[in-house]
Amino acid sequence: MNTANGASRTSSDAPNHYFSGLRCLINALNKGIEKSRLFSGGIVARGMVARRSVACGIAVAALFLSGCDGHSSSGAENQQFPDTNELVAVVNYTGPAAATTDIQNFKLNVWDNLVTDDRCGRCHGVSGQSPQFVNQDDINLAYAAANTIVDLSNPGESRMVTKVAGGHNCWEASDTFCADVIQGYISNWAFGSSEVIDTAVQLVAPIDKPVSSSKNFPDDAASFGSTLYPLLTEYCAGCHSDSASVPQAPYFASSDLDIAYEAVQSKLDLETPSNSRLVVRLRDEFHNCWSDCSANSAELEAAITLFADGIETTEVDLNLVLSRALNLLDGIAAKKGVRYKANAIAVYEFKTGEGELAYDTSGIDPAMHLTLSGDVDWLGSWGLRVNDGKAQATTSASKKLNDLILATGEYSLEAWVAPANVVQEDARIVSYSGGTTVRNFTVGQTLYNYDFFNRSTTTDGNGNPALSTDDDAEVLQATLQHVVVTYDPANGRRIYVNAELTDAVDTFAGGNLSEWDDTFAFVLGNEVSSDRLWQGSIRYVAVHNRVLTDGQIEQNFQAGVGEIFYMLFNVSEHVDVPDAYVVFIVSQFDGGSYLFANPFFISLDSAQQPDGITIKGMRIGINGREALVGQAFTHLDFVVQQANYSIETGVSMITQYVPGVSDDEEFGAIIALEKGPESDEFFLSFEQLGDSSNVFVEASPIAADLSFLENTQPHIGVRTFEEISHTMSAMTGIAVTHPDIVETFIKVKQQLPTAADIEGFLASHQMAVTQMSIEYCNALVDDDGLRSSFFPGFSFNADPDVAFGGGGTAIVVNALIANMMGVGLSVQPDNSDIYDVLVNGDLGAGYNGLIDELNDCPIDCNAARTEIIVKASCAAVLGSAVMLIQ
Amino acid sequence: MIRFHTIWLSKFNLNYIWLWFLLVTCSFSVLAGDRDQAKRIHDRISGVHASDAVITAMAADITAGNALDAAYTAMENDGFFNVTLKNMITPWTNEAQTVFAPLNDYTATVIGVVRDDLDFRLILSADLLYVGNSGLGLPVYGNNNNLHYEALEDQNISLKDHLVGTTPQSSITGMPTAATAGVLTSRAAAQAFFIDGTNRAMFRFTLLNHLCTDLEGIKDLNRPADRIRQDVSRSPGGDSSIFLNHCIGCHSGMDPLAQSFAYYEFEYDDEDPEGEQGRLVYNDAGQVDPDTGTRVQGKYHINSNSFKYGFITPDDRWDNYWRDGQNSLLGWDNSLVGSGSGAKSMGQELAHSEAFAQCQVKKVFKTVCLREPLSEDDNSQIDSMVSAFKSSNYQLKRVFADSAVYCMGD
Repeated sequence: MNTANGASRTSSDAPNHYFSGLRCLINALNKGIEKSRLFSGGIVARGMVARRSVACGIAVAALFLSGCDGHSSSGAENQQFPDTNELVAVVNYTGPAAATTDIQNFKLNVWDNLVTDDRCGRCHGVSGQSPQFVNQDDINLAYAAANTIVDLSNPGESRMVTKVAGGHNCWEASDTFCADVIQGYISNWAFGSSEVIDTAVQLVAPIDKPVSSSKNFPDDAASFGSTLYPLLTEYCAGCHSDSASVPQAPYFASSDLDIAYEAVQSKLDLETPSNSRLVVRLRDEFHNCWSDCSANSAELEAAITLFADGIETTEVDLNLVLSRALNLLDGIAAKKGVRYKANAIAVYEFKTGEGELAYDTSGIDPAMHLTLSGDVDWLGSWGLRVNDGKAQATTSASKKLNDLILATGEYSLEAWVAPANVVQEDARIVSYSGGTTVRNFTVGQTLYNYDFFNRSTTTDGNGNPALSTDDDAEVLQATLQHVVVTYDPANGRRIYVNAELTDAVDTFAGGNLSEWDDTFAFVLGNEVSSDRLWQGSIRYVAVHNRVLTDGQIEQNFQAGVGEIFYMLFNVSEHVDVPDAYVVFIVSQFDGGSYLFANPFFISLDSAQQPDGITIKGMRIGINGREALVGQAFTHLDFVVQQANYSIETGVSMITQYVPGVSDDEEFGAIIALEKGPESDEFFLSFEQLGDSSNVFVEASPIAADLSFLENTQPHIGVRTFEEISHTMSAMTGIAVTHPDIVETFIKVKQQLPTAADIEGFLASHQMAVTQMSIEYCNALVDDDGLRSSFFPGFSFNADPDVAFGGGGTAIVVNALIANMMGVGLSVQPDNSDIYDVLVNGDLGAGYNGLIDELNDCPIDCNAARTEIIVKASCAAVLGSAVMLIQ
Repeated sequence: MIRFHTIWLSKFNLNYIWLWFLLVTCSFSVLAGDRDQAKRIHDRISGVHASDAVITAMAADITAGNALDAAYTAMENDGFFNVTLKNMITPWTNEAQTVFAPLNDYTATVIGVVRDDLDFRLILSADLLYVGNSGLGLPVYGNNNNLHYEALEDQNISLKDHLVGTTPQSSITGMPTAATAGVLTSRAAAQAFFIDGTNRAMFRFTLLNHLCTDLEGIKDLNRPADRIRQDVSRSPGGDSSIFLNHCIGCHSGMDPLAQSFAYYEFEYDDEDPEGEQGRLVYNDAGQVDPDTGTRVQGKYHINSNSFKYGFITPDDRWDNYWRDGQNSLLGWDNSLVGSGSGAKSMGQELAHSEAFAQCQVKKVFKTVCLREPLSEDDNSQIDSMVSAFKSSNYQLKRVFADSAVYCMGD
């Protein structure tokens, strides 16, 4: 991982005809150039064309040059940008032909794009200052000059890129944008469409610094509110507030103190207030000073100092076995792979991190920048978080999608997204549309599904029917995912998630894109009509006017998203090995954390052969203290041995630590971001490192407070459903398996009480109890043998008057009392209570007791009526609290 | 048969029924006498009505100062096994925690352990399974159905008299002995908690049912995150603070323990989505899962792109990270090492905790006393019963007896 084994460009590199030819075709089609001119040696007389147009063999670009000293003493605020309506002269190359294929590739990919006066041609041309890498007269000389300021094995490190990134005359408002675009040009020259992966990293010892004490932001915003906040709300709220007319993140001047406090933290340096981004932005970059930049920045610095002075310093524990310290930016920038974007016609990497524009860094003109509106936050890890807004391009810029995709008849849309949830429906993640009913394409979310709408001759004007991922597969998860959708006439639509083709099959394949509408707008996070909000984070978006192959999708998935650094934590003092480091690959994982991954041990001194070094219990520290949450290497326990150590690669600590992890697998920890990547200082601590050791002591656990709230829960309850049935069975002698009982029980058991809590007893429960009691009593009285033994001497075959006369009533009531209520139990009702209900009629005026009430029968007063009266009397007792209460 | 509901309901006004219930309920205001205490003990333990003879015998024991004997008498009633225990245990055996689930091997095995006064801790680790007596003419135990137990229940066969636990689980199910873990490897538990998902459900519901806490209750943010699998997003919805403030608190301890279930899966047919005909499977030594290339079930490696820097389960090694930190208060058994391989030893780790013993006591207390512990007196009683539970070699009957006597009333 740390070896210089990345592919580098050599003279034997194959010419990139496909790429250059395609790019020429794209640009030509974009501007209506005849195809016959494309490979004609580059001499095309075109006169004047609109700024930013690009053509094959010719180039249009803009430039401000250092030699032109674009920086005035008044700084960036006074920088003059070209009139975007200005017509720029196209440079027609008439010099000697490119001597080699590589020079031709340089011309097509770099020179053509930068040669115009509005990019680099004004200063670095044939009569300009050195290096003359856009020499208009001789492409071979331009090539030679360019080679002095490019790093083809690592285009991002090219001087041509870093110079612009550092503020050197970008033709847009964002230096990052220009640097990215130029890096893209150089990458295309270096790698073209080939799938070369260059992950070479040259490890270099960082600046040595000890772990310092640190000031950490207090949880309470009160101190901030009384020191710095008033200045911010007075002078910055016009833009940096969520309630501003055109809100610009970060909202450190929000009217909500807590929002402002959270937003401002990454802009402050508590240790050195003068280095705070807020101060630097005014003092050095002259950003919207309210009067005099020097005085204004001093005022801010004083307020920050006042705030910082009130914060207690966190001192590092001197007992810890510590590495030396690093900030994230002390690390060595690296990459995991080259993203395939040979056919990218719009690319968004969201690197700027602030402002209202998200730049299209594809380098394909016209640049289709997105304007942020509504509640959309920048992520420090590169990205946007859409809360309640959108990012939309103009319809005129969006037209390039229509033009360039129609030229090929196919396209791919690629994005790294993290849906905020899996409950949003009909939400638009990326769309090129005119409203909710008309579109060219859209990728959206419905619950766990990605939806892909594409307008073709086999769909309607809204791209319906949509292609959606399978409901059961639930491929959409509320986590960072790489999503690619592709369309071509032969295969129709396809959806890939994390480089795997989903099961979604387009049954409406075929057709073509001839019905696309070029008046639509490209938008992220919503519909252009702002009524199909999608909530989540978008870390990267690219539109390609070719179908990405499975291999290219896999390559781009592996390339990942965001920026990574190799952080070399010096541990030499503990292991007695010069230049010994524990190296982590670190990135800002999202807006709230860092990822520390794949640690390895190495000495940069190639003469060393470390052996017998114990490394145990490693923890990541941040701002003077070990992180409490997220540690993943505390169980590390291994010994660096000469046998497993390589001079070139050191020794991986995860293959030694995590069972089953192979060399090509990865392992890491998530550590919470505190002050921001520019301020957070990291270190490592160890329970044992070489001969140094420290015993990690857990804080003593605190027993939970088991004090009871005295309350008055009832000490009695009701029987539950099966207890009721079994109790009724015991009281009546009828088996619970009696068919009638089973039938009724199945019907009502879920209506019976399921909990003993008497306070939860409901009338519906009583109705079910009643049905069960009726069923048991019915079975009892219908069984001649059982009823005779239960009600001994009672005349079931007599009419009611006879049966209940002369002691019959007492037989029934006493039998019920004896069998169901028990005797000698004070917790049961008195026998007289039963008589009152069944015989004496003590329940209210006009009520004569249940037996008499039922015996009042003008018709059918026969033996059957006698059975009914007994059953009813039985059920009245069986279904009562006599049975139910326990 | 006379269907006389209509007559009954029309003639006897429903209001009278309700009034009758209230009237009789209101008369339960005073407790007095040994017979009353005997009735309550019997009601609470067996769930069913006691005959006068039983009440009399129990009252005599109470009068003689042998209330525990009275409680044990109540446990002779079939209702203790067929009703009280069954309804206490059944909700443990399904994800919906419903008491209406049919009798199954999980429930029957716990009932059998109680009946036979076995060390209750064995329910999470032993090579043990209770089935109905072979002479009952029931369908034989099925690895792919629950017919045996449903027949037991449908016929209301006495579980006290007809459960048999002498044949090891491994002999009945064919599971390797080392792979058995009491009810954790019962078919019912597998159908409920190994079906689909990631097998974390088995762990969570074991915590719920046998340590009386959900994960939220033992969340500890400070445990190492090194064993949290790849399928757990470290940035849910793009916000890692959710992971760092919530998810990690449970997963950091749960995942290294749930790793013990790495070789188990519940297989079922798509045509049978509830898995009624499904079966528990286990990757024994030499068996390789096609998705993982090891004995680890494929479900342990799903959604690996949610966080590819997460843990890739290589085997069924488990470690109890909760022996450190706040959850050390769960009272782990210091005679055990806190790590191992497979469900059997992990089940033992849980069952030997103080929290396990307390949980069983609290569940029984609620079953018998019909309420949660309410006071310092109740709390002391819980402690006392936990001690008695341990000293009885973890016989759950003893806990029922102690609870019933404590709550038998004045």
